[in-house]
Amino acid sequence: MDYDIPMDGEDTGPTVTIREASPAAVDFILRHVDLAFANSLRRVIMSEIPTMAIDLVEVKKNTSVLADEFICHRLGLIPLNSKSVDDVLYTRDCDCDQYCENCSVTLSLYARCTSDGVMRVFARDLVPQDPRANEWVGVPVIKDDNPDGALILKLTKGQEVEMKCIAKKGIAKEHAKWAPTAAVGFEYDPWNKLKHLDYWYEESAKDEWPVSRNGEWEDQPQEGEGVALDGQPGPFYVNVETVGGLEPDVIVQQGIKVLQQKLAGVIQELAGGDNQAETNGDGFGPRSPEGPSGGYDQGGYTTPFDQRGGASAWGGGGMTPYGATPYGQNGGNW
Amino acid sequence: MASENQDMPDAGGPVQGLTDARARQEEERQDAILVDDEQKIHVLPGSTDTSASFEFLHEDHTLGNALRYIITKNPVVELCAYSIPHPSEPKMHLRIQTFADMEDNNVYDVLRKGLMDLQDLCDVVTENFTTARDKFVQENGST
Repeated sequence: MDYDIPMDGEDTGPTVTIREASPAAVDFILRHVDLAFANSLRRVIMSEIPTMAIDLVEVKKNTSVLADEFICHRLGLIPLNSKSVDDVLYTRDCDCDQYCENCSVTLSLYARCTSDGVMRVFARDLVPQDPRANEWVGVPVIKDDNPDGALILKLTKGQEVEMKCIAKKGIAKEHAKWAPTAAVGFEYDPWNKLKHLDYWYEESAKDEWPVSRNGEWEDQPQEGEGVALDGQPGPFYVNVETVGGLEPDVIVQQGIKVLQQKLAGVIQELAGGDNQAETNGDGFGPRSPEGPSGGYDQGGYTTPFDQRGGASAWGGGGMTPYGATPYGQNGGNW
Repeated sequence: MASENQDMPDAGGPVQGLTDARARQEEERQDAILVDDEQKIHVLPGSTDTSASFEFLHEDHTLGNALRYIITKNPVVELCAYSIPHPSEPKMHLRIQTFADMEDNNVYDVLRKGLMDLQDLCDVVTENFTTARDKFVQENGST
């Protein structure tokens, strides 16, 4: 950037401090970024990171007490390993008719209870079939000590289920089963110095709204201290807990990557045909999404600019065609 | 994959219903996700080189607010704001006005610069996050 972004009088750029990290969650403090950016990161982590989840189920046999749809819904919610999910295509980008090994992973479930008593069917009974895009993708997440994974259903003597499950790549914006995180903790200004919150209370807001543990990381405001009218939100206390399909640090990195892909998509379209070279020169080519689904360079986003040859689409001199185009008309201009 | 379909004898009966359901599902998906050959940005009528409104398809607060913030930081920008005109339409509007008496005040360049600055910001945050993670792992052992 060739102009400085003032950061509350400090010239440090964004900083990250990791407070806690485990295979299940990462807790960090994000400083010197704006609320707008921090919130974008949170939103993108919550809803736009691709993962794998069972999307189609072919019920071959089901003599259990549960309805087919009920079981299918449960199957969809089982976390599947999504490591290197970039190797899998979205079905909509794939050449196949319905699904194939490039855009899905097939898992088979077969269980039959032959003994007295109750048989429990777990996620471990879902068997991923080869070929697959890579060795991780689509394998049920099993984190317990037994190791069983999630309980799907129970059978008694003589009952049987046989199902063919097709796991596909997707994002949580489409269905929550593709969410990489169960929840993202996000807090700033734990002492509410900025008065962004107006607490409801019965007798005393102070007694009824205990300050979170993040409050220890900031100075307690003095009694009677006024509101900092020019105060900026931050630092941001973020806690990303995985569902199991992706490691928590990978989720954060993927989140930023998805945000960048969004930007790259817009830049690509903005550049159109005429500024192709310039855009690539700025290094956005390599930053485009990796893997076979990386569509930006493969003509995934075509624009009418391409058809105009070298003509600049952006306001050639004083002549602006934009005003002449009625909004919403699907004309050649915009 | 014709062969894939054929080895599904049990799905033979209701297969038509299945495809109908799939077509419906696909339509719903397209609301949430960008269809490939759709144009993502439009310029709204009445725009000039120093003040323009853009319409982004299939974008929301995730891009809108961050982009608004970073564009506002550009000294040639007089005003930048965004809105989502209607909650049930997947559209985001972004308005940029630049100072007429300043250089490099073409709104398209300003928008492009904003996008690239946001890319750079993402790069810095990724880098710092990775460094912090590696440092944490080094100090606390691999978790």
